[in-house]
Amino acid sequence: MMEKKIMDETFTVPIGPQHPALKEPSHFRITVDGEIVTNAVVRLGYAHRGIEKAVEGRNWIQNLYMLERICGICSHIHATAYCLGVEQLAGVEVPPRAQAIRVLTAELERIHSHFLWVGVAAHEAGFDTLFMYIWRDRETVMDLLETLSGNRVNYSVNILGGVKFDINEEQADAIRKGLDYLEERTNHYLDVVSNDAMFLQRTSGIGVMTRNQAEVLGTVGPTARASNVARDVRVEAPYGAYFDYPANIVLEERGDLTARFVVRIKELFESYRLIRLILDTLPSGDLETRMPRRIKEGETVCRVEAPRGELFYFIKSNGTDMPERIKIRTPTICNMTSVVKLVIGHQLADVPMILVGIDPCFSCNDRMVILDRSDGYKQQWTWEALRQHGIDYYHEQHS
Amino acid sequence: MKIGIMISDISNSLFRRPITELYPFERRETPESLRGMLHWNSENCTGCGLCAKDCPANAIDLIVLDKKAKRFVLSYHPDRCTFCAQCVHSCRQGCLEMSNEEWELASLDKDQFHVLYGVKEDVENILAGSPLPDVDRIE
Repeated sequence: MMEKKIMDETFTVPIGPQHPALKEPSHFRITVDGEIVTNAVVRLGYAHRGIEKAVEGRNWIQNLYMLERICGICSHIHATAYCLGVEQLAGVEVPPRAQAIRVLTAELERIHSHFLWVGVAAHEAGFDTLFMYIWRDRETVMDLLETLSGNRVNYSVNILGGVKFDINEEQADAIRKGLDYLEERTNHYLDVVSNDAMFLQRTSGIGVMTRNQAEVLGTVGPTARASNVARDVRVEAPYGAYFDYPANIVLEERGDLTARFVVRIKELFESYRLIRLILDTLPSGDLETRMPRRIKEGETVCRVEAPRGELFYFIKSNGTDMPERIKIRTPTICNMTSVVKLVIGHQLADVPMILVGIDPCFSCNDRMVILDRSDGYKQQWTWEALRQHGIDYYHEQHS
Repeated sequence: MKIGIMISDISNSLFRRPITELYPFERRETPESLRGMLHWNSENCTGCGLCAKDCPANAIDLIVLDKKAKRFVLSYHPDRCTFCAQCVHSCRQGCLEMSNEEWELASLDKDQFHVLYGVKEDVENILAGSPLPDVDRIE
């Protein structure tokens, strides 16, 4: 009788905010029945830095560097999203050469981000050999970024209206040489993640997300593409130089962790192709156009494809040299719901792997606020109401 | 399905030099584009103060002693500096540049983190704390 009672009881395992498995602070409450997860709740917000408020007190130029520091891994894409939005508001056209250099840096950043992720995910799976070697090879792309911009992280390539530096033939050759080496290694790593029997035991059939689930849960980026959802801002709504250098979408059907590894690694080949194409056909011309210090009154939205998925910026100007409001939505917040759904039914030991599968970046996403007051008042939108609001807002703006 | 695909990586690495370098005994050449310590050449400065206004880290103050006579002192805090080179870019006169050699800036001495550029006499006056008439400070 006693034994029966214990068997029926579930147990809640609190993970985080400080936990050796997670390098960034987040709190998960995992309810388990034996080893099997029956429910999961996530709590974010431990790394909230108030960046959205801070940008309201700085001028447009200073904010470029503030926003670049939202993420240490995908810093360039944040700055690019911001620049594209501000340039759109100011009605400034960026020269083609500057746009191409922005995309080239973004693709180099994607390479370093995907290499970093494969390493971290392999480490979580207990495959430290892969972690060590892929991070060794990642140094190649970090060195290339340093040669180009002077910095390994936070390259600060962008300025409002263009880019800071040019690419000479010597640097172009160094990039080509680096890419040749990386391509050879990437083929090897693709073989490892898709064929290594031990590694496949940790990834194959784990965290399977069907195409329907991926769409309903609103996933973005490689996480969605691993479930065969064709969602890539570079392809759907090209920006900057992606009009001239179109990217191809990489899809996988299985939707499990192996698919997420394969999608990211195959995307590297796409990045190599784009970078080589840009280097071979880099348009000539200026690197920047003159930007006004005060930006015309107005508001805009801007979407770009960060290494982790769609990055969204809303920028509102009141005609001064400071923004009135900037709202940022990073890809992790879109993908986080999939984690709490996918872990159900899996073993507790698979939770870190499923979490790492979305390539989470906690300090990036910590800026969302849900009002839930003690008097029961909740400010929340239903999907339908939010959709209707969007349609009405669009009509109002364009009427 | 294969077993031990990465064994070849390990065996190859056994006979290779380590990929890491023994810093500070071994030093890699810094790239041309590396952004290190900021340097100011006062010759062409007009005192517009854009460098100070655009600095995202508030690392630069431009002390205007006499705008007509072009007497300026640039107060620079390397400890606050994020080495983004926006000031270099904002300066229309090309007065600012970043060294690609001076990048090992760690120090136990706090004074190292406040650098005053300008005419020797003005800098000494400011350091001595002597009162200066009509000083305008652009931050």
